[in-house]
Amino acid sequence: MSWVLGNWPQIWQYGIAHVLLSFPPVIAGFLISLPLGWLAARHRVTRGALLAAGGVLYAIPSLPLFVLLPSIIGTKILDPLNVEVALTIYAVALLLRTTADAFAAVDPGVRLSATAVGFGPWRRFLTVELPLAGPVLLAGVRVVSVSTVSLVSVGSVIGVNSLGFFFLDGYQRSFPTEVWVGIVGTVLIALVFDALLVLAGRLLMPWHARLRRARRRSRVPAGQQPALAEVLR
Amino acid sequence: MSVALDTVVTMIEFRQVTKRFPDGTVAVRELSLQIPPRQVTVFVGSSGSGKTTILRMINRMLDPSSGSILIDGTDISTRDPVALRRSIGYVMQDGGLLPHRTVVDNIATVPVLSGVPRRQARERARALMRTVGLDESLERRYPAQLSGGQQQRVGVARGLAAEPEILLMDEPFGAVDPVVRGELQRELLRLQSELAKTVVFVTHDIDEAFLLGAQVVLFRPGGVIAQRGTPQELLQAPADDFVAEFIDAGRPRSILR
Repeated sequence: MSWVLGNWPQIWQYGIAHVLLSFPPVIAGFLISLPLGWLAARHRVTRGALLAAGGVLYAIPSLPLFVLLPSIIGTKILDPLNVEVALTIYAVALLLRTTADAFAAVDPGVRLSATAVGFGPWRRFLTVELPLAGPVLLAGVRVVSVSTVSLVSVGSVIGVNSLGFFFLDGYQRSFPTEVWVGIVGTVLIALVFDALLVLAGRLLMPWHARLRRARRRSRVPAGQQPALAEVLR
Repeated sequence: MSVALDTVVTMIEFRQVTKRFPDGTVAVRELSLQIPPRQVTVFVGSSGSGKTTILRMINRMLDPSSGSILIDGTDISTRDPVALRRSIGYVMQDGGLLPHRTVVDNIATVPVLSGVPRRQARERARALMRTVGLDESLERRYPAQLSGGQQQRVGVARGLAAEPEILLMDEPFGAVDPVVRGELQRELLRLQSELAKTVVFVTHDIDEAFLLGAQVVLFRPGGVIAQRGTPQELLQAPADDFVAEFIDAGRPRSILR
C-alpha cells in the first residue's frame, strides 16, 4: 500500500495515458465498422468478403503488428499512433460481424414502412436503422472497449507507456504489488468505460430499456407483441 | 357512406400496367383501372393475386415494368418517389410503426419529415389521437406497449397526419382479432364519412371488402381483374364461376356471425 502511495503520481500519470490511448481506437473502430457493417448486411457478396477480412485481421498477433506498423504507415517507432492504429484495426475486426448482424436484424417490415411513409435513404439509415440496430451495436462496442483497454497494456512492450508498464516493471523486478497495481488499474478503467457505455445506451435508447423490462415481466417472446400488450394492460 | 358526385374526375388511373419481377414472375398483367376520388376502393383477392403489388406501385414503392400510373392526370414516374410517398398516407399490417418512437412521435412522423416544426406536429398528432379514438394518456407509450387494435389506430392516425388526399391501406386489419377488426372497420367508415379521402384498401377478406368498399375490384392470380363494381353488383351478378366461388367462400362465416 505504501508503494502505491509513494508512486501515486506515476500511477495516476500512466492511468491517464492508458485512458487516452484506449478511447480513440474504440471510437474510430466504431465509426469505420458502421458503414462496412451496413454494406455487409445489405449484400451477401460483401458480407462474405468483409467478414473474412475481419477474421484475418483479428488473427494477426498484436505485438508483431505494433512492431511492423511503423514501416507500413511511416510513423516513428515510439509514436503512440502505432498503438492507436493497431488497436483500431482490432476494433474494426471485432465489430464488423456485430454491426453486420445488428443491421441485418432490423425488422424488414419497419424498413419497408419507413420507406413507404417517405423516409429518404439517408434519413432512414440515421433515424430508423441506426437506432434500431443500437442495442446490438452497443453490446459489440462494450466487448471492444474492454478488449482495447486490456490490449493497450501490450503497447508498453514497445515503449508506449500505460498501466502496462507496471506489469513489465513489476515482473522484471519480481515485485507482485506493482503487477497488481497494473491489473487492478486496468480492470478499473475497463469497468468505468463499460459503465459509461451502458449509461450512454440508456440515454440514447430510452425505449430499449422499457421494452426489455416489459418483455421480461410478461415472459412473452419478442415477436408476439400484441399478446404482450394484453398482458401489460 | 356518401359517394362523391363529381366522380367524373379520376384521381388514380392505371394504364396498361404490367409488373414483372427480376425472377420472371408476372405479378400484374396489362392492368387498366380507374380509381374514383373520395371513396373507398377495395382490392380483394387471394395471395398471389398481385393486389399488394398494385397498391405499392401507387406510391412508387415499386415501379411498373411497362405502362403508366397517373394521379390527377400526372404520370407519377415524373415525380420524386420520396416526396410522392410523403403526400400519400400509408397504413400497413401491424401498423408498421417505428418501435423506438412514442405514439405521438409515430403519428407526427410524416409532417416532421416534410419540415413541420416538431412541437406543431405533435400538437396535431394529439388531435388525431382523439379523431381515431385513442386516449391521450397513451401518447408517451411505445408501440409494443399497445394492444394490436391500438397499434392499428396509431397506424391510421399516422396515415392521416400529413392530410393526404390519398390513403393506401395494405391489409391493415389483418393481424387483429375479429371483434377488434369489426370495431376498426366501423371506425374507418365513420372517419371516411367525415374526411372523404380517396382510399385504396387491400384485403383477402371478401366480407371486409363488401363492408368497406364503394367499389370492389376482385383480382384473380396474376393481377388480372376478375370483376369490378359495387358490392351489390358483385353479389347479384358475379361475372363468372371464379367470382361466385370467391364470394361463396366467405358466406358461411357471415351467416354464423
